[in-house]
Amino acid sequence: MSQSLRPYLTAVRYSLEAALTLSNFSSQEVERHNRPEVEVSNSSAELLLQPMHISRNENEQVLIETSVNSIRVNIMVKQSDEIEQILVHKFTRFLEQRAEAFYILRRTPIKGYSISFLITNKHTESMKTDKLVDFIIEFMEEVDKEISEMKLFLNARARFVAEAYLGEFVY
Amino acid sequence: MSDWRRIDIDAYDPESGRLNREDLIPSYPNQITLQDLQPTISQLRSFANSGDINSAIQLATSDVPYNTDEQTKLQYVYAVLEVLVQVRQADVINIIKGLNSQQQDSLAKFLYKGMSMPEGQKNGGILLSWFEKLTQVAGVTPIVHYLSDRRTV
Amino acid sequence: MSADRSVQSIFKLTKAPIYSHCFSADKSILAITHENECLIYRMNDSSQPQLVGTLKNHDKTVTAVDISVHGRIITCSQDRNAYVWEPLSDGTYKPTLVLLRINRAATAVQWAPNGYKFAVGSSARIIAVCYYEHENNWWVSKHIKKPIKSTINCVSWHSNGVLLAAGGTDGYMRVFSGFIKGLDTKESVANSPWGDKFPFGSLVREAYQGAYIHDVQWRSNVEQVAYVAHDGTLNILDANNNVSSINAPDGLPFKTLLWINDNEILCGGYSRHPVLFSRASNGWKFAKDLDKGSGSAEQEPAVTSNGEDEEENQTFGISALRKFKELDLKGKVSTNTKESAHDNAIAGFVPFVESNGHVQQVSSCGLDGKVVTYNI
Repeated sequence: MSQSLRPYLTAVRYSLEAALTLSNFSSQEVERHNRPEVEVSNSSAELLLQPMHISRNENEQVLIETSVNSIRVNIMVKQSDEIEQILVHKFTRFLEQRAEAFYILRRTPIKGYSISFLITNKHTESMKTDKLVDFIIEFMEEVDKEISEMKLFLNARARFVAEAYLGEFVY
Repeated sequence: MSDWRRIDIDAYDPESGRLNREDLIPSYPNQITLQDLQPTISQLRSFANSGDINSAIQLATSDVPYNTDEQTKLQYVYAVLEVLVQVRQADVINIIKGLNSQQQDSLAKFLYKGMSMPEGQKNGGILLSWFEKLTQVAGVTPIVHYLSDRRTV
Repeated sequence: MSADRSVQSIFKLTKAPIYSHCFSADKSILAITHENECLIYRMNDSSQPQLVGTLKNHDKTVTAVDISVHGRIITCSQDRNAYVWEPLSDGTYKPTLVLLRINRAATAVQWAPNGYKFAVGSSARIIAVCYYEHENNWWVSKHIKKPIKSTINCVSWHSNGVLLAAGGTDGYMRVFSGFIKGLDTKESVANSPWGDKFPFGSLVREAYQGAYIHDVQWRSNVEQVAYVAHDGTLNILDANNNVSSINAPDGLPFKTLLWINDNEILCGGYSRHPVLFSRASNGWKFAKDLDKGSGSAEQEPAVTSNGEDEEENQTFGISALRKFKELDLKGKVSTNTKESAHDNAIAGFVPFVESNGHVQQVSSCGLDGKVVTYNI
């Protein structure tokens, strides 16, 4: 693991551990409703806790928004050029369209971020908290690897196509 | 009245007593202005220039200006950030060990605040190494405190 | 487990989280919240509690349950209602709806020590103090509204049955008077260090914590009230407004607390194991962890299971499976070979064995659907 990735992931791990202390909390605004307070425009400010920004640099950041019964984890994946932008977009869209299989994945990311997770008290009650944290950390490790692999593969493929195409003109 | 379902009836109840963002901030008898804070900021800078990061951090985290406006807070955070990024990696752990629990809580606030601003994100690596050492010394405690603390930097 | 014999028994009762549980006065009946119902168990010596009844009148999550000294069960729920369940001679219960008059979820409930009234905390920024009205043959309520600004999370009665402590998400722990004319007498609060007059609903004391208050409990004979907050602190307030505050040793907030005796408090919460604090000459101190998960693999007490979870108790292919799991978890921090009895946050404590005001065994319920008893 590279030098600055480890403190980055450690910071995310500790922040998540502290933030995943959720309670079952019924809405104060709407009768008989129980909704993730981080997702609704809230007229009770006390239900939201301090947001946590963790950034490795301008392009790799995590924003954890916290509330009494839910947290939102927004991840900005490194995108250093246009190819990576396209790849990240395709990759996250692929996952988001299958969001029900991931339980905690949000179908659309928050503006400015590549992918968002929404964890509610239902999730922390039915799953082990440290496993949830492990999942997000592992996702963050894997996604960079995945994107750079895809980029290499794409370049190799482009080279092959170009060779095959231009080979036609060699006499 | 087609949108009567959307009327916020609780707003008409004088006893509804909702809390908005301002209500949560503890009130202070007096407000600090930028002029009051200037000596501390220049003190921080001179500590940083002479390389005495330990004293600078002690000063920055001991009396954090909560009772002031956002603009002044920002000036203070910039000054603290300048100090934070000048540290030698090897010194970090000893500086943090010298802080008491309240100072560690304040440091966590500065780190999170710093990482939310472009100025701090440029030096994300250094802030993260501060953060890592902080969690090594104090565990998850300063972060749990940060979450619920309504006094922001 | 050889070093730490604090866990007495583990009962895996449901898959859903248990937010609250309680025992009848003689500890023969156990009531737990389970989704939209309240389950009643009969305690047997040494074996799995036996399910004897299901109280199902609520149509939203049941948030709290309590049993009075007379054996009446009170349940309250996010459907805004509370029911008093009167035990009948054939072992069933007859429900009576309580006129709470609240329009949001009911979150916490506790019987007053004499069993003639109870307090219900709610998300409607109201505490309802309810009592039985003979003329109309139903339970009616009086409201405490001011100055509550947010959801009430917890309520606790003083043993004099008048002082009521409550805490909530507005970050205040408050002590109110729950004096009901005709039920309470002025003599019960004579010479109270908390004040002279206690008209119903008056604010007796207020302590600002800033973070959500998760649980509050009186220790009446020393006139102190302890509360735990979301910033991971345990706080003890006395009648002279002195607050002593202490941090959780591992940082994560506590959900519940229980006075063991005048000088010891047990806390439990998101760290999944109970933590004991004790009063020393110079203030409150962390005393010890009970049943803390560690890296060393030791023999665990057998989990008595309901049968439906049998597939979780692996009996074959262990070595291969473990090897696989170890590979899977390679390089992760959270690999505890010995885990605490609770796999998820502890939601509540009640005393299980008690003598002379000293609790010897504690029972806890958790979000993992377990009820665990600990030796102190």
